[in-house]
Amino acid sequence: MRLDVVLRYIGVVMLFIATFMLLSAGISYFNGMDSAFYPLLLSALLTTLLGIFPLIFVERQEQLTTKEGFCIVVGAWLLACVVGSFPYLIWGGEFSVINAWFESVSGFTTTGATVLNDIESLPRGMLFWRMSTTWIGGIGVVMFALVILPSMGRNKLTLTNVELSTLAKDNYRYRTQVIVRILLAVYVGLMIISMLLLKLAGMNWFDALCHAMSVCATSGFSTKNASIAYFNSPAIDWVLIFSMMMAGVHFGLIFATVTGKRNNLFRSEVARWYFGMLLLGGLLITVSVFAADLYPTFFTAFRGGLFQFVSLMTTTGFATADTNQWTSFAIVILLFGSLVCACAGSTTGGLKINRLILSLKMIRARLSQQQHPNAIIRIRLDGAIQDTESLHSVTVFIVTYLLLILVGTVFGTMLGIDLMTSFSGSIASIGNVGPGFGEVGSMNNFSALPAAFKLSNSLLMLFGRLEIFGLIQLFFIKWWR
Amino acid sequence: MTGLRKRVTVGFLSIVCLLFFSGMVSFLELSHLSRDTGDILEANQRNISLAKQMLDAAHEQNVALIHLSVFGDQSYDSLCRACMTRLENTLLVAQQEAVDKSFLDSLAFATTDLRLLVDSYLAFGENEHDANAPEAGSKWYNNEYEALHTRVTSAIKAYMTSTQSSLAPRADQMRKNAYRAVTPVLISLVVMIAIVLMLYYFMSIYCVHPIVRMNKGLDDFLTFHIPFAVKGQLKDEVLELKERIDTLISMTKQPKF
Repeated sequence: MRLDVVLRYIGVVMLFIATFMLLSAGISYFNGMDSAFYPLLLSALLTTLLGIFPLIFVERQEQLTTKEGFCIVVGAWLLACVVGSFPYLIWGGEFSVINAWFESVSGFTTTGATVLNDIESLPRGMLFWRMSTTWIGGIGVVMFALVILPSMGRNKLTLTNVELSTLAKDNYRYRTQVIVRILLAVYVGLMIISMLLLKLAGMNWFDALCHAMSVCATSGFSTKNASIAYFNSPAIDWVLIFSMMMAGVHFGLIFATVTGKRNNLFRSEVARWYFGMLLLGGLLITVSVFAADLYPTFFTAFRGGLFQFVSLMTTTGFATADTNQWTSFAIVILLFGSLVCACAGSTTGGLKINRLILSLKMIRARLSQQQHPNAIIRIRLDGAIQDTESLHSVTVFIVTYLLLILVGTVFGTMLGIDLMTSFSGSIASIGNVGPGFGEVGSMNNFSALPAAFKLSNSLLMLFGRLEIFGLIQLFFIKWWR
Repeated sequence: MTGLRKRVTVGFLSIVCLLFFSGMVSFLELSHLSRDTGDILEANQRNISLAKQMLDAAHEQNVALIHLSVFGDQSYDSLCRACMTRLENTLLVAQQEAVDKSFLDSLAFATTDLRLLVDSYLAFGENEHDANAPEAGSKWYNNEYEALHTRVTSAIKAYMTSTQSSLAPRADQMRKNAYRAVTPVLISLVVMIAIVLMLYYFMSIYCVHPIVRMNKGLDDFLTFHIPFAVKGQLKDEVLELKERIDTLISMTKQPKF
């Protein structure tokens, strides 16, 4: 493996991040040179130095190996989290070293969990930087860098193989270079549409931009302490429900639908499952909270229930209500949503609905196989026959995912945290959801929890974002052949 | 500047820039910290000085009023008025300088009450003091003045301690700022270490290792006549050097006429 080449491409990603730091510093400057200007400028300078150094020494390479591509992706992600914490650390306030790291990881993995008690006290430059981390994270640090990388061909293919989950990659029926453009076009388009709709719904331009960045990355970072509940606006709630739903769909499907292709949203089996589950989950919660007299009318209960379910299932994590106060049934449904999450090929984390469908089909196939031992049963997803290797990897992924949740929960309880907080916190972290229940509920945050729990959860966030094995492989890179 | 030299220069310039940057940030942050410390100490000193002046004025007025009311010594009349004026003036200065004026509210009320009481007593004393002295004066002092005087001195002490307490959060903030002050420097140092490591690595793979390999290749050629072939990725001046060695070797192989 050529470490110098890996460093060069990580350097490119660092320069991207530095650009966003400068942009945030610019916002800070135009906002009357608020207290975030100096930390952002310093961080931009340091990140630029760190990024430009390998570019001076290492020449552009046309060919990359899979191992190098893997190291670029994982290395860039980890280093992005490190440099992303620089502005927070220099700015101070509530940001200790652990808090700054947690906030940065939460941003770049698009988790949206926070350690801040008073988000509104952050200067605008810092708020924008916080949203930038999540926006960069949404598209994928490396995926983002690929667009400007001058080299073409196999480089992109190698990096994309690592960056996109196998399921997501299969669903794109285009060449790799086109995938990058589609991803960016859909991502930016979704952000712009969300921003305009939020502005029309009553937000100011800055809040609309920040929430649009957050929603298309399915992050859930907000500029307000009370999240979306602050605005108390049905119009904003509905716009966000729509935006979150769309951000959870496979980007290739959105592109195919917009461009009038045959393989579109309306013909997709995964999309049908996705929207069906969203509606069903939303309705079940609505009935539950309405029956418990938590909302005055059925319609407001439907708005609140659907918003919260869509928010958690798409791993966004915005909140319009304190879900800790909801019924146990509603909480269980929300936990299920946090576990399953949305479609592969979007910016969401979690198990992904594709894996759930395949698991259910595998169970059905197993039952059929027992009844008809000699039958050859094929499992299809969206019409495509799934090979044994894909099905095996789905099973292994689900088992590892659940094991990691278990480890996170046990670790949390070991630290003296209650079971609900540990369990839901671990689900919310590995699924890149953000809020859980208990002490990390929709109206709470991670600030009061022990530093060790914050660290373990930030690790879970990275595991979730890098599809678990992406991060695990890093520890076994020496044995790769 | 050509390849290798350019890269080495840029590498060292980056390190120099970071060192300079770390130094400047340290200097600025420490200056800021020093200024904050100075401000707190100055505020502390000023607060003590003003409280002392007010306590002195109250004490002198107390002594003057004892002479005036208990012993009937009219010569203390002017001293009593002067002390009252001094107390009020110092209070005015304290109010002007105070960041949080709420600490001075109770003192201001007590001083106003004291002014009214003393003024009324002095006015009364000018007319009828002699007839009732010294019993009436002593009674007035014990029943009316002493309690108010105690209230004023207590308010002055409260002002002194409360202002000191208000400085505590600032001092605590400063303690935190001291940690914050070194954060940019620490981050710069971490970045510098990363750059130094990268420089070391790049110098090793692009400069040191090829030269070592060339040296070994030349040694093999001279000792065992093994053909000179250096493997690995070469560039810049190192590649030129390798090509010149190749040329030199091929020249030595040509027959001499």
